[in-house]
Amino acid sequence: MHIPDGYLSPSTCAVLYGASAPFWYIALQRVKRILTTRLVPLLSVMAALCFVIMMFNLPLPGGTTGHAVGVAIAAIILGPWASIIAISIALSIQAVFFGDGGITTLGANCFNMAIVGSLVAYAVYRLAAGKTALTSSRRVVAAALAGYAAINASAFCAAVEFGIQPLFFQDPSGAPLYAPYPVSIAIPAMMIGHLTFAGLAELVLSAGVVAYFQRTNPTLLRLTAPGNVAGEEEIAGADNQSMWRTVRPLWIGLALLLVLTPLGILAAGTAWGEWSARDYSNLHAREQMAMASRNTAPPVQPPRELERLSSLWTAPFPQYAPTFVRRPAVGYALSAMFGSGTIILVSLIAGSLAGCARGKRHELS
Amino acid sequence: MTENPMTVPVFDVRDVTFRYHQVTALEGLSLAIPPGKRIALLGANGSGKSTLLRLLDGLAFPEKGEITFCGEPLSEERLQSPEFAYPFRRRVGMVFQNPDIQLFSPTVFDEVAFGPLQLQWPKDKVLAAVKEMLEAMRITHLKDRSPHHLSTGEKKRVTLASVLVLDPEVLLLDEPTSALDPKSASQMIDFLIGLRGGAKTVVTSTHDLDIVEDIADECFVFQTGRLVAAGTPTEILRQTSLLEQTNLTHAHRHIHATGETHSHPHLHPHKH
Amino acid sequence: MNFLERTLAGFLNAVEHALDAEDLAKANGLLQCLDPRVKVIGILILVIAAATAHKLWVIGAVFAFALLLAASSRVSPLLLGRRVWIPALIFTGIIAFPAPFVIPGRVVWRLPGLGWPLTAQGLMSAGYLVTRVETAATLSVLLILSTPWTRVLKALRVLRVPVVLVVILGMAYRYIFLLLESARDMLESRRSRMVGKLNGPDNRRLAAASVGVLMSKTLQLSGDVYSAMLARGFRGEVYMLDDFQTAALDWIMLVLIAALAAAAFYYGR
Repeated sequence: MHIPDGYLSPSTCAVLYGASAPFWYIALQRVKRILTTRLVPLLSVMAALCFVIMMFNLPLPGGTTGHAVGVAIAAIILGPWASIIAISIALSIQAVFFGDGGITTLGANCFNMAIVGSLVAYAVYRLAAGKTALTSSRRVVAAALAGYAAINASAFCAAVEFGIQPLFFQDPSGAPLYAPYPVSIAIPAMMIGHLTFAGLAELVLSAGVVAYFQRTNPTLLRLTAPGNVAGEEEIAGADNQSMWRTVRPLWIGLALLLVLTPLGILAAGTAWGEWSARDYSNLHAREQMAMASRNTAPPVQPPRELERLSSLWTAPFPQYAPTFVRRPAVGYALSAMFGSGTIILVSLIAGSLAGCARGKRHELS
Repeated sequence: MTENPMTVPVFDVRDVTFRYHQVTALEGLSLAIPPGKRIALLGANGSGKSTLLRLLDGLAFPEKGEITFCGEPLSEERLQSPEFAYPFRRRVGMVFQNPDIQLFSPTVFDEVAFGPLQLQWPKDKVLAAVKEMLEAMRITHLKDRSPHHLSTGEKKRVTLASVLVLDPEVLLLDEPTSALDPKSASQMIDFLIGLRGGAKTVVTSTHDLDIVEDIADECFVFQTGRLVAAGTPTEILRQTSLLEQTNLTHAHRHIHATGETHSHPHLHPHKH
Repeated sequence: MNFLERTLAGFLNAVEHALDAEDLAKANGLLQCLDPRVKVIGILILVIAAATAHKLWVIGAVFAFALLLAASSRVSPLLLGRRVWIPALIFTGIIAFPAPFVIPGRVVWRLPGLGWPLTAQGLMSAGYLVTRVETAATLSVLLILSTPWTRVLKALRVLRVPVVLVVILGMAYRYIFLLLESARDMLESRRSRMVGKLNGPDNRRLAAASVGVLMSKTLQLSGDVYSAMLARGFRGEVYMLDDFQTAALDWIMLVLIAALAAAAFYYGR
């Protein structure tokens, strides 16, 4: 799944480098805080190990072999943040020195495999393993699920990145400049291979290694099991940080949804009820209204109040298409980002205002 | 073993106990390392000599008892402060048994430069010191090599160079001749012999009785974490039952043509 | 065992690649003489130029320049073919192959017999993809073959990569080869002890156990390396010593590459 140079446009690459940067920064800060002086030797050696694991050819059911990334094992043994860095370093060496994966696409590969992979693996493992004992078989299953989910999440991200290339980047004659296949081909093509072989390889490796450690050295699994002394919970401490941790899966989900909004374009038809006054006189729109309403024909005139009220407010981005953007897909995605960004910003402001107010009240009392 | 009461020992180990993973590596250990002498720590694998070296180098700290370095206590807290740590790290150099863990820099040059850089010497001084040391150890031709391209003998020379570049007063060596081919081993031994009568205090851990007389002025014998004997090499080597007991020699059996079986302790005495 | 053999073959391939790189980095060629910082910046600019171009001939021009660099640096086309061109062609070729049939546009030919249409746009997009991949791959391998890895890493500082990352990259690279050796020894000893074939689940258990053992050794290794670093005065700060010196040739090449890249950006937009 290492994306070579040439498959993604420079702007896509830049966006993904930009998306990876905050995660790298946060990961480095958190790992530095926990490991302090051990950071350099531990991460170097772990990155070397991740590299070697990626070179293992693993036997799969059915007699075939496949490669795994080892992201779930890294996330389970080292925690998600150290895993992000170790795998990013391994990917960097693979890309630059061994030519496995491109230089411009390094940000994308790190985002898909190191960042999304580690976070998804960690979240799934924690959810599935719950508070069971370190040696319980449920943890082996959790590890298997974590590995499978992580690899498929990475593959899905890559598929989306491939799929939006022909939408946005074409030469004047309409030929796609980079990855040529649209989302409708890219997603099935990527996912089939990963839901089967690559996913299985990751599943087999993650489950096998966790089972091995359960037999030989269960304390290695301590870091990502709750209630342990050396766990991140104790060391992190501060209030807002633990809150961040609980809502983190939501952030990840939101980020993924943002990326996937252009998929909405693929949906056919209209949403029921979301019609403007003008649609009542448009023949095509009337057909869609009828289809959405169990083949009941809409009235010839729009409801009177609808007409009156619709002139009250003109949206800045009607039809989710800002006027300055020519392609509908870009407009869609931009609208999604703008919308979510506004909501997030408003909530953050409201939250900090509320926090201030509370703080002041504490001060006064 | 006589000791001038006016001379502060380089290391004074007082009733030290150290446990590692539920295993008692050292128990109730007391000994003193006088300055300027070459000391050998003798014992079979697992007898605690490597652990002692790590404690002497401030890489681990005893559960019970204490260790002092030139009269000052060697504790975890003291090593946190740069005022104590920097001089200590410069004055005491350790060569580990496995060279691969000690060759962590990308090239030989970087490796030898690591110590001086950590001690924040100015760039020119670092470059000069490294160049000089590479020449002294005759490994200048290896300076741009990566560690994984070196033979074991070359690796050990580089590890020595990387420690000696700081000109330490104390050298701690953990099994310096292990895994070396005979030629490299004898070069190492020559080096250790050459330190005789010098200003350096040398503590070598080994289980190779053949070299003890050459490389050490005094020996301490270890068995399962305890000190069981001390003396000059000649004195120790004479105590054959002690040597067998501590697994430093083995009874060698051979069968003669007549069918007779001889059993005697296996030792190679040789004179220089 | 299939997976053991393949894994060992993969390890060997990696080690050979590193050896090739070390040999060529010592050769007497144009790229070898240049300051690594100039190479890092120059090659990066050229890769970005090839990635940005919207015209096929511009990408081709960058590729031609890469070939010139290779020729003047004693890098043989056979080596490039074996290491870069053929593998990339196979991988990207398979992906690009359906494009002419799938991408909509002006039909230029129909497959005889099946009648499947090939479109101009599809052919063009396959062309873009393949040439871009080959050009970028050639440029990055030239950087690696002409510069010792450790100098490449130190040169990354000119791109403002933090020292701690450069040190980690260097140490990771060094230990990759140690781990490859450990893994190879472990797998070879298992292979020599195996009589007959193992069934599926046993195979998988073996693979997982190998990785597990390697991981335990690695954790142990990191503790040992940490001790060794502490013993030499390490207190958490990392330092780097570099001795780069630019000569006239470096500046000439840098200006030349920048001019070429600028032309590529202009004509390729």
